[in-house]
Amino acid sequence: MVNDSRRGVVTGLGVLSSIGSDLETFWQGLLAGKSGIKRIGLFDPSELPCQIAGEMTDFDAKNFLEKKDRKQLRVMARTIQLAVACAQSAINNSKVDKSAINLTRFGVIFGAGMVAMELPETADAAAVCQMPERGKIDLKLWGTKGLEVIQPLWMLRYLPNMLACQVSILHDAQGPNNTITQDDVAGLLALGEALRIMRRDHADLLMVGGAESRVNPLSMTRQSLFLPLSTHNADPSKALRPFDSGRTGLVLGEGSGILLVEEIGHAKKRGAEIYAEVNGFGAAFNGTDQADAIERSIRIAMAQAGVSVDDVDHVNASGMGTEKEDRFEARGIAAAFKGSKDPIEVTTIKAHVGHLGGSSATVELASVALSLRHGVVPATLNYNSPDASCPVRVISGSPRPLRKPFVVKTSFTSAGQCAAAVLRRHDV
Amino acid sequence: MSRKYQRRIVITGMGVVTPLGDDIDTMFKALLEGRSGVGPIRNFDASTFPTNFAAEVHGFQLSSWIKDCSRWEHSGINSKFAAAAAKQALANSGLIEGMNSGKVDRNRFGVYLGSGEGIHDFHNLMWETANSYDPSTRKFDYAKFCKGGRESFHVGSEADQELHTTAMHLAAYFGLNGPNFNCLTACAASSQAIGEAMDLIRIGDCDMVLAGGSHSMIHPLGVTGFNLLTALSTNKANPQGASRPFDKERDGFVLGEGAGMLVLEELEHAKKRGANILAELTGYFSTADAFRVTDSHPEGRGAIACIDGALKDAGVTPSQIGYVNAHGTSTQVNDRVESLAVKHVFGEAAKHVPVSSIKSMMGHLIAAAGAVELITCVEAMRTGWLPPTINYEHPDPECDLDYIPNKARQSKALHCLSNSFGFGGQNTSLVVSAFTG
Repeated sequence: MVNDSRRGVVTGLGVLSSIGSDLETFWQGLLAGKSGIKRIGLFDPSELPCQIAGEMTDFDAKNFLEKKDRKQLRVMARTIQLAVACAQSAINNSKVDKSAINLTRFGVIFGAGMVAMELPETADAAAVCQMPERGKIDLKLWGTKGLEVIQPLWMLRYLPNMLACQVSILHDAQGPNNTITQDDVAGLLALGEALRIMRRDHADLLMVGGAESRVNPLSMTRQSLFLPLSTHNADPSKALRPFDSGRTGLVLGEGSGILLVEEIGHAKKRGAEIYAEVNGFGAAFNGTDQADAIERSIRIAMAQAGVSVDDVDHVNASGMGTEKEDRFEARGIAAAFKGSKDPIEVTTIKAHVGHLGGSSATVELASVALSLRHGVVPATLNYNSPDASCPVRVISGSPRPLRKPFVVKTSFTSAGQCAAAVLRRHDV
Repeated sequence: MSRKYQRRIVITGMGVVTPLGDDIDTMFKALLEGRSGVGPIRNFDASTFPTNFAAEVHGFQLSSWIKDCSRWEHSGINSKFAAAAAKQALANSGLIEGMNSGKVDRNRFGVYLGSGEGIHDFHNLMWETANSYDPSTRKFDYAKFCKGGRESFHVGSEADQELHTTAMHLAAYFGLNGPNFNCLTACAASSQAIGEAMDLIRIGDCDMVLAGGSHSMIHPLGVTGFNLLTALSTNKANPQGASRPFDKERDGFVLGEGAGMLVLEELEHAKKRGANILAELTGYFSTADAFRVTDSHPEGRGAIACIDGALKDAGVTPSQIGYVNAHGTSTQVNDRVESLAVKHVFGEAAKHVPVSSIKSMMGHLIAAAGAVELITCVEAMRTGWLPPTINYEHPDPECDLDYIPNKARQSKALHCLSNSFGFGGQNTSLVVSAFTG
């Protein structure tokens, strides 16, 4: 049923992260075991229980864009700026000549979360309408005086689809355009969808990406209420510890990851450099036992790719760094690889960059593509005392060479939305 | 129709929550009667806003649909609308009982929603914002905000604002363990969700998908945002006449709210379990204008490619289309560009094809609009009646199609086109056809 003749390959990458805002620095940071997690400097976090994050302290989108494109940045929240900056990097990296491709077959599929409001933008309106009683705003005043002091395009700075739309506008990408909002798994679902779109012959080239800044006072305040965030503020780079029994909780971050996914014939015709092939994808849900959905996602992706358990070098895991999720993920992976000759090995880059929400999966996918390109697997950081309830072998200490041609990527949400993809080394 | 896909997709269940009724029969009857669901906003005090009216859902109680709705206790209204519409759609498809007795494979039953964002706790958010800000120096005290926010925000409702929660609740409650997606492409979202859901079945990843959308932006920040963009009608003198798609005097859209859900199913799977087949979903395409975040491309390049692509995907010609359910928002630009695009793709056939916008009656359900409009197309084919565009009084020379003015029309359509176009240049078109075996 799948049109197998239309195979997808990765022909361009862009990454913005707290360990590097260009591919080379990011990759060297992963190999060197660098952590971008530090005390928050973008705002004063002292009233938050978690005061650390994978922050990109010096990010300035202007440095990435051509001069003519910079004035659009005014209508973009930081998250959207991350997306457009990273998209420019990915396009540059792919060396695609936009004048030589059919732009109606150039799509953009993104993962995105809630775009956090920048509080000062409505502060004047709020101040005019604040009532003495706590939690009360005078709506009659808001409808008149409040509206007068908010920028006319205010709402467009925060619509989740503006990442993919602004990117499509900057690059004249007129093909299928979608924004998937499934939190940590959004970017991996976006990859699966892009693959389907390419196979059904509605596009030849797609930007698959995600961007999110969670280092925002509103975001951090809200998420501090319902996420098990680490309070290990004294030693930020050691706080996030996937699969380690000394876990301290989640650490948020910001960044963007974008992959150019291209039909292989199209890529070869233009002489593109190929990082990796994308061979299979699977997704599943389980609201109570995520291990089941992770296992099924992996099995579906591997069956689609025609790969056996012994062909897979390792799994690039989500590695949330919370007890329940780590155990679910490890059990799901172990079950999917039951019967393999050697126990399956797992690595994760979460501890390097943090939880990036809508951009987690694509930043991690970029690391997978780089692994397959360079033949090296980054080690998991902060893995010192294995959690015995996580039945997988974690790659730690130092990077190791890639030994087999396939890598499986898993991502999921704690709500039970899971996905997996199979990527392959491209042999020239 | 050409048969280029091995796996055909049929609709076997539908459900709605709309300003014109929270079941399909009530809604469709109101549409044929040409009733307006617009009135003064009751969700909050909007009396001084430039727009103080909308098409709201009144008297909605999730408990009338789902006995134990405890998991939605802290959910926003989007999520509750979605649950009620999903329950109707699954029951309509004969599945509530069937799933309990294990007749369908839950692992091959996915969810693909185009459901809107959660709604901020406006009063607490803005009060804490004001409390952390000194207007005279324009200094913002972030630490004070963090402290205040942590004290006043409600844990459960904040968690449920996250964009993946609506689809999660449906999957968890109804036991739908296949792929789980939500997309948010503004006003095109639920159409795009339905189209991608169809593709999940076509390629064999699923046998069934619960697809649709839900949304309400009738809240202080929603109306603020759209009023600032001057996208909403401000016809306070005549709220029920404010949504007037394709009429020369149109001055913006009217907000609506609600949800539409469909059960999409692979044809053989539906036949095997003896499901009642309501219609066949035959075509889908999506494009981007890649032009501006605020305006459609003036020559409608994205819309044209989208409509054309959907017809080709369905393997039907424009002259076979018996009804176009237009995006028809009642804004100057949308209605002009959409008419232009239909004429461009349909050519000679544009002179004869009936086109209407139900947004004239129930307002714009934003992310949920496309799903409810597709359901309307299915009902139009099933009953042989096409809903009108109400408030159509002053012809616009740039909008010169047959908009089914003001009165429903009896007409047998075998194939319908449903368009959805969103902010940012998002275009989605769907083709739905009478099931003929």
